[in-house]
Formats: sequence, structure tokens, C-alpha cells
Amino acid sequence: MSGEPNLRGQVAVVGIGQTPFYKRAQSPWSERRQVVHAIIEAAKDAGIDYRDIDGFSTYSWDRQYAPQLVHELGTRSFRWSATAEGAGGGGGIPGAIGVAAAAILSGQAETVVCYRSIAEKEFGRFNTSIELDHAESHYAAHGLVVAAQFVGFRTQRWLWEMGLPRDILRELALTDYFHARTNPRAMAFGNTLDRETYDASRWIVDPYKLYDCSRETDGAAAVIVMSAERARALTRKPVYMLACAQGNPPGGGDNLDNYIEYSGAGMSSTAAEAYAKSGLSPADIDVLQVYENFSGAGVTSIYEHGFFTRENALDVMRVENLTAPNGKLPTNTGGGCLGEGFIHGMEIVLEAIRQLRGESANPVAGAETCLVTGGPASIYSSTAIFGTEATL
Amino acid sequence: MVELDKAPVASAIGPRRDGIDVAYWEGLKEGKLRIQRCSHCQTWWWSPVWHCSKCDSWELEWPEVPMRGTVYSWIRTHQAFVPAMASILPYVTILVELPDAGNRRVFGLLVGPEDELAIGAPVTGVIQPASDLTQGMPVLRWRLGQWQGDAA
Repeated sequence: MSGEPNLRGQVAVVGIGQTPFYKRAQSPWSERRQVVHAIIEAAKDAGIDYRDIDGFSTYSWDRQYAPQLVHELGTRSFRWSATAEGAGGGGGIPGAIGVAAAAILSGQAETVVCYRSIAEKEFGRFNTSIELDHAESHYAAHGLVVAAQFVGFRTQRWLWEMGLPRDILRELALTDYFHARTNPRAMAFGNTLDRETYDASRWIVDPYKLYDCSRETDGAAAVIVMSAERARALTRKPVYMLACAQGNPPGGGDNLDNYIEYSGAGMSSTAAEAYAKSGLSPADIDVLQVYENFSGAGVTSIYEHGFFTRENALDVMRVENLTAPNGKLPTNTGGGCLGEGFIHGMEIVLEAIRQLRGESANPVAGAETCLVTGGPASIYSSTAIFGTEATL
Repeated sequence: MVELDKAPVASAIGPRRDGIDVAYWEGLKEGKLRIQRCSHCQTWWWSPVWHCSKCDSWELEWPEVPMRGTVYSWIRTHQAFVPAMASILPYVTILVELPDAGNRRVFGLLVGPEDELAIGAPVTGVIQPASDLTQGMPVLRWRLGQWQGDAA
């Protein structure tokens, strides 16, 4: 590991909390009330007083600002507030946890909460309330206003370059629904989506059908992070951060038409850095939680993180291989953004922690490492790897 | 299939607030496609920039570019994400690679027949005149088929 700074094993997630998830605009609570609830639940889970949280981090376009939350929470010492900037959806998860680690390891905060809350009754539909702000004239002139379209272009190109059938998208969608079916927290709990139903569903934006698209969900989720040393003193089993990398490869950023690594997820750089800093390779990863606002974004991020090649794509990307308990590459074991709910991806971080604690609704026996991606095919992305005590 | 004179825009369009792309919109009014290029090292830029990071120059120009290209990728939108586009559902939007502008790519609505739609297919630009449908601005649309103009 030479002398280069490396956060491997130095911070840990000690608590997770959430509200119930609701269909869009169905939450009885406001966004503020939701996020306060999730933070208090996370503190209970960690066995700490929520008033002792001294740092806050989130990711782009969150409307709940830390200075407003400290008033609600009775925060005793407000020391840190930061945002992982990027696209509005999930580019910054799990980057927000990397931001928390930066605060902790530099001594600027001790106990940081990372959070997300969405209540559409209060603020409207995400893609029209936010994406239109982003839609420049060169997009709006051609009817391009939502993420499904911009990400769809990249998926279409990727399938063509790889020479793969669109069915590969369906396999990830069915994987999410398979896991959601047995997860009582999931929006699709009890839903038995099959290939026929998927195939018969309507188009949203070709290459995406209805079940390729994330749900619009109301709810909030939060995780609490602290130094590994302090985490061990608490009663809950800490889950350690082994790596966190953010950003894009060269020619990325807010470059929706001329992104250099256009056809992929734009995660080659974060994948490489996360593996280098953790000292792990794809073969060492036991469970995957991939952000997928749309199925194609998830599939390409799995590819760029080294879990399949063009040659073995159709063998690896099969429901039977991607699902717990029998698959070799269990992915989105809580149901993911398609099946569990879509709190802009924060829900997949909670599932990563549950897996490594042995608390998932779809447990993967002996899971010690979990890779989490945020924001594939986006203007900003992040990758993190989490591990149990055994990985240190 | 979308007809050229029936194509709407999603919301008000025009030069960016900071004025960086005024030359593009003025070009469309003259019936021309103008894309940004560095005056010093000739690197093409899109979206436009204030400064060329290839050669460290602040001097950028807007040459006219033939309205020909190939389909780099495409989508077909079936959902009315904004009311303004509902009248033409489902519509195809393409990402056009411009061989005469360093293979820089621009988004554009496809008008006319869609049968030959495929990645790599040749397309030709056509300017839709300003109207209420386009919020008073001319818009560059694309048709499938080889460009018939003079080679640059």
C-alpha cells in the first residue's frame, strides 16, 4: 500500500435507517420529516444519540440541507456539511460516503450521516422538476428532457458495439424483481415478474421497456459513518469502507453528446481506482449492488467493473446467475432501483450493509465484500467497496 | 414518422444565457450549420467552450459545416415526458456524428421515413423554419439519406 493516503478499512458504516417506501406522491410525510425519521432510525441502529451526529453529507440536488436538519435534530456540535456534486440521481452514491470519510479522516467531523429523501407530493415529479433545469436548448429542441433518453442513447450504442441482444437488459430487470419479491421492504414485494410479462410491457424509451425503468418512490434512507476505531467500540457489527472513487474518465463530465467513453457506463476510472485502493479484483467481490436508474446503466456498470466480457456476457448475465442464494454473482439482492424502490439509489447502500451484516432478506452465505456503484452513464459517478472485519 | 413542419420543441429554446452559442443560432437563421473550432489548433468543440484545452488558446471560430452525418446512436421516445412533445409520439431522436467537424456529435430529431434507421446510417440535415411550434427559433432536423450537396 506504499505511503499513499488510502482510506481502506479506516471508516465504517455503523447504522442504517429508512422510512417505509411509498409509490410516488403517496408518502404521508414531508421530505423533511422523512429524512429526520431516517436519521433517527439510523442513530438507533448504531446505538448513538442522533444529537451527537456532527457531520452531514448528501449528493446533488438534495433539497434537505444540513443547516435545516440540525435545527430539527438538536445537533450539539454542527461541524461539517458537504455534497458530492454530479447528476441529480445516483452519481454521488456512494460518493457521499467517501465525502463523509474525508471529513472523518481529516478530523473535521467524527460522526457523519449520509442521507436522501424524496416526497413527490411536495416537490413534484423528479424528472420534470429537476431535469428541465438541466435540459439545454440543444436537447430541448429535439424533445430530450429526461434521463431515460440520455441514458438510452448510450445503452443503444453499447448493445450495438458489443453485438449483444437487448435481452441482456431484461435479465437484470428480472433479477431485481426476483429479489424484491421476497424483500418485505420492497415496492415489488410479492411481485412475480416473468419474461413474458416483461416482453409484453410497453415501451418507455426504446431501448427501455416499462420494467427497465426505476420506480418513482417516496421515502428516505440514511447511513451513519465514523472512524473504524470508534465503530469497533459500538455494539453493531461495523461494515468497513475498503475503497471509494469518484468522477469520470477523461472526456467525461457534463458532456452528454460527446462523452469519450460514450457507449459504456463511464466508470472505467472509478472501477480501476476502487480495485487498486482496496487491493481487490472482481473475483474477490461476493455481492454487487448496482445503481440502475435504467437497466442498461446497471448492465454497463457491471461490465465496466470487470464482471463479464463480450464473450461470456450471456452466460454471466442470466437471472439464475445473478440471484441469491444460488447464483455466482448475486446482484441487487434487495431488489435494486427497479424492484425495491428508488430513493435515488441510497437504498442499495443500505442493502450492501445488510448483506455484510447477514441481515438481508436474500442473504448470500459467507458474504464478506460488496461493491456498490452510483450513477452509471451519468455526468459523474462513484464506486465503493465495503467489507466485513475479515477483509481487513 | 414526424413531418418537418409538425415538429415541436420541448420548451423555450435559444442561445445559452451566457451567450456562448449565439453563433450557432445565428447560423441556423442563415440556413447554415456552424460548429465551434479552435482557431489555433483546429480542434472541433461541441458543446462549445470558452477556451481550447488542447492548445491553450482563447480564440475560437464558428465555420460552416456541411449538414451531413451518420447515426451514432438513436432512441425512440414513446412517453409524453412533457406535454409539448405529445403530438408526435413516438418520435425518434438521433445522435449525429459530423465527419466534417472532427466527428463531433449533435442530437437531433429525425423527420421523414424511419425505415432505414440504424447506427451508421447516413443522414442529411434540414432546417425547420421558426414558428410558434418551435418557440420562434429555427431548428436543425435530420432525414435519413445521403447528403446531396457539394463536398466540403
